[in-house]
Amino acid sequence: MKGVAISFREVVKSFDEKLVLDRVSLDVSPGEVLVLLGRSGCGKTTLLRLVNRLVDADGGAVYVGGREVTDWDPVELRRGIGYAIQGVGLLPHLSVGDNVSLVPRLLGWNPERRRERAAEMLRLVGLDPREHGDRRPDQLSGGQRQRVGVARALAADPQALLMDEPFGAVDPIGRRSLQEEFRSLSRELGKTVLFVTHDVTEAFRLADRIAVVADGGIRQVGTPGEIADAPADALVRGLIEGAA
Amino acid sequence: MSFLEFLAGRWTEILGLTLEHVVLVVISTVAGVLIAVPLGLAITRIPALGRPVLGFAGVIQTVPSLALFGLLIPLPLIGGIGSRTAIIALVLYALLPILRNTVTGVRQVDPAILDAANGMGMTDWQRLTLVEVPLALPSIFSGIRIATVVGVGLVTIAAAVGAGGLGSLIFRGLAMLDSRLLFAGAIPSAILALLADAGLAMLEARLVASRGAPAS
Repeated sequence: MKGVAISFREVVKSFDEKLVLDRVSLDVSPGEVLVLLGRSGCGKTTLLRLVNRLVDADGGAVYVGGREVTDWDPVELRRGIGYAIQGVGLLPHLSVGDNVSLVPRLLGWNPERRRERAAEMLRLVGLDPREHGDRRPDQLSGGQRQRVGVARALAADPQALLMDEPFGAVDPIGRRSLQEEFRSLSRELGKTVLFVTHDVTEAFRLADRIAVVADGGIRQVGTPGEIADAPADALVRGLIEGAA
Repeated sequence: MSFLEFLAGRWTEILGLTLEHVVLVVISTVAGVLIAVPLGLAITRIPALGRPVLGFAGVIQTVPSLALFGLLIPLPLIGGIGSRTAIIALVLYALLPILRNTVTGVRQVDPAILDAANGMGMTDWQRLTLVEVPLALPSIFSGIRIATVVGVGLVTIAAAVGAGGLGSLIFRGLAMLDSRLLFAGAIPSAILALLADAGLAMLEARLVASRGAPAS
């Protein structure tokens, strides 16, 4: 399935009286990789979690494929959207292959088809299904686990991917190759990707467009080139220069 | 007459009482598991249940066992002299360790894993059965182990209300000031407790080791 559009319209969200998102609007085009870049606590993760309704907005609306997320059954919505997070959240009691084919299992695929799918997905992220498929997650390296996380997010052929610092726990070298592979993979698959990171280099490496998030609002949206050439304000400039 | 000769003369009786003992422990522990595990899981879904249920189980635990047996005897339907009263008391004692370990086992599951499970679109039931219960299993199992070992000890006291088991030898030995009778009850009971603990520990280890096996 190719990507769908995701839109945020005047979204407001508070936690315990603290405003974390203040009337945020943003459009993600079908098939684009949009990176939400910002420091921790800026609201970028909340923005991501609004899309699959792990968080519901207090005001405004979020649309996936033109349909407001609150019109969806959350379970059905989530099964149609891939989700990968920092620390990956692999189930330690299931094999790597069973982890990858978890959403297909929830969708009621038969075991044969699930196994094939798991193998296909593992190959896609550069793992050998025969070597790694039957292992348990704790028998893999950090980088391999992150790959499994990506494979799992892709397994049910979702219309969009939500990724929250998915390469956060990997050493710099492994991280770089993961980013490069993910970039070519996402181009190839044409899925809409919403990617959260605080790492400016990662954002510039992966993004079609970057949205710089700060203090519950979006400061600037643009291609990496646009943002590098013409930062909208001092904060954006500081963020980029801090990484350079 | 030496102690061994004494045992040799009574081994059929001791064996029969040991069997009775084991049956009482098994019945009460199984019943305890059937009540406490679902109740513990319910507490993780309905937190308001936690305080009253765990509180009740905790209070029972503070009642001396001999007193609890005594309190149950006059009650209609559940009371009276015999194994039924004993089993009810034993089940009540089994509740707390199993309940508590079920609840903590589920609550200790890594939030990142729960977040991933929710994000993948698991229903609450799927999250419970596919994620939380499997990950809480070692903790639940150690609660069952505690309840069983404690149960072996408690059953000796249940002989006071006529439940049978090895306790009847101990009580008889106490009444007749016969230490051989007392040991004939106490030693097999202690061995039973150790065996139960070791056996369940082995089962637990196998359970944990098999958790990596492909699930269908």
